[in-house]
Amino acid sequence: MPGRALTRLAPVVLVLAAALTACGGDGDTDSPATEESTSSSSESPAEPGSESGSESGSSSTGDGVTVTVTREGDSFTPNGERVELGVDQPLVLTIEADEAGELHVHSTPEQEIAYDAGTSEHEIVIDRPGVVEVESHEPDVILLQLEVR
Amino acid sequence: MSPVAVGGSISAHGLGGAKDLPIPSELAIAGAVAALVVSFTVLAVAWREPRYDPETSGRPAPDWLDRFVSSRALAIGARVLGMAIFLYVAAAAVFGEDTLINPFLGTFYVLLWVGLVPASLLIGPVFRAISPARTISMLFAKISGVPEGEGLYVYPARLGYWPAAAGLFAFVWLELVYPYSTDVGPVRLWCAAYLGIMFIGSALWGTTFLARADPFEVYSSLVAKLSVWGRRDGVLVLRSPLANLDTVVPRPGLVAVVGVLFGSTAFDSFRESTPWLKLVQSMSTSRVWPDTLALIAFSAGVAFVLTVATMATGVRSDIPRRALPNLFAHSVIPIIVGYIVAHYLTYFVEYGQQTVIQLSDPFSRGDDYLGTADLQVNYWLSAHPTFLAVSKVAAVTLGHVVGVVAAHDRAIKLLPPRHQLTGQLPLLFAMVAFTVGGLYLLFAA
Repeated sequence: MPGRALTRLAPVVLVLAAALTACGGDGDTDSPATEESTSSSSESPAEPGSESGSESGSSSTGDGVTVTVTREGDSFTPNGERVELGVDQPLVLTIEADEAGELHVHSTPEQEIAYDAGTSEHEIVIDRPGVVEVESHEPDVILLQLEVR
Repeated sequence: MSPVAVGGSISAHGLGGAKDLPIPSELAIAGAVAALVVSFTVLAVAWREPRYDPETSGRPAPDWLDRFVSSRALAIGARVLGMAIFLYVAAAAVFGEDTLINPFLGTFYVLLWVGLVPASLLIGPVFRAISPARTISMLFAKISGVPEGEGLYVYPARLGYWPAAAGLFAFVWLELVYPYSTDVGPVRLWCAAYLGIMFIGSALWGTTFLARADPFEVYSSLVAKLSVWGRRDGVLVLRSPLANLDTVVPRPGLVAVVGVLFGSTAFDSFRESTPWLKLVQSMSTSRVWPDTLALIAFSAGVAFVLTVATMATGVRSDIPRRALPNLFAHSVIPIIVGYIVAHYLTYFVEYGQQTVIQLSDPFSRGDDYLGTADLQVNYWLSAHPTFLAVSKVAAVTLGHVVGVVAAHDRAIKLLPPRHQLTGQLPLLFAMVAFTVGGLYLLFAA
């Protein structure tokens, strides 16, 4: 009985195996491409950066990405913006705030940025791929989601 | 000014730091196509006579293994182990400090909630064997002289798994919606309420209550149906996961359990997506209400799609149409498990290691009770995003295949001959929708 089951299931297994091999192939060819786009993002503006550049003021200069964060009372911009970033590529946050506060960078381990009222610059480096949220506390607002590749 | 790394600050964020990158679109599409192709291949070429029968399936395990697994010593050992872990972590919860490095949080959200899935897949219904709620209820019963397993009343059959569905919803709401889910106080309160309900319920309805209403026990026992371990007339048998899955007993509320488990995991991806994040953060109220509504919508949506898809077929006169959703609900369990693996793999591996390290220092005083305090977390998995993405898509696709085969076998068992193939189509579409939806969320969130 198990033998017959196997013969009956063989096409299924084959199709699945073929599909997954295709996935694997895609993934492998995709990975250098991603790295390329990461390294090239230092020269040309990263795609989401250029899309949202007008809105949130994130752009890449030199070998880093810069984002401007504005705080007016309890309201923040940007609001949950996605920013692409390379592993070990510095992100410069320009914070324009009307009162002092703290941002949490939910990388592993977590990083914390204390800022004063007025304009200040802060640099973040993420050393591992993943999605890292930059969040303000009190009030709790997610400002940025960094897609680190 | 450079940022300062901080160890255990409180945040209203949930456990764990960085999350997985979205899977590449090529992989998501490849997975979806594979799911589609496999589904129709199964429909076209698979068997036409039901193969799985709980009465006959499975090979008896070797005698010594059956004796060992059924032994009183093992049962007591498992209960003692479960109680030891429970008391150790409860001490951290009660006397430990309210910080993210309190191992109570990691044990509850990662080792228990996520770890229950791989443990049950490998060794069967493990939570039932170590459950402190069950152990303490059994001790109560023993002290008060009640016959083992019995309560004051017979558990009403029509309640089925509904209490477990409610308990699971309470858990996922705490984990995914409640803003203070990483404060020790509220989580401790949740656990106390859970234990209280389990004690009262088991006093009233006996241990049957725990098997139907304890969210962790029900979840673990359902996932264990995908392991190779089963019992037939009390004898330990080895079954193929598909044959074992067929032995899930359909009870009222099973569709709701499945809906909450799958819907909540999908919601977890959805709540991190940019459009939803922007929407809830631009509202003037806190995000608790929109998140609660979305969690209900996802859970109810899965249950609704499953109900409609299983009922949209011709039926035999001896099986009422409204019985079908619960009779087919088992086939969604592998899809859930595949998606859970994809969703939680990094979190479990990396935050699980972190929790094992933290467990050495339950009171945040720098202790090293278990000798794990100096270990370092291995981040190999998140450093290899391509490997991770391929594993996730493979898990989702494999879960889908197992689910489709399970549904096919059930359909040819239950449906009248002329509806056996066409009757499967709505459910097949629903399953493809679940899988593709899951892949889409892994890609988009």
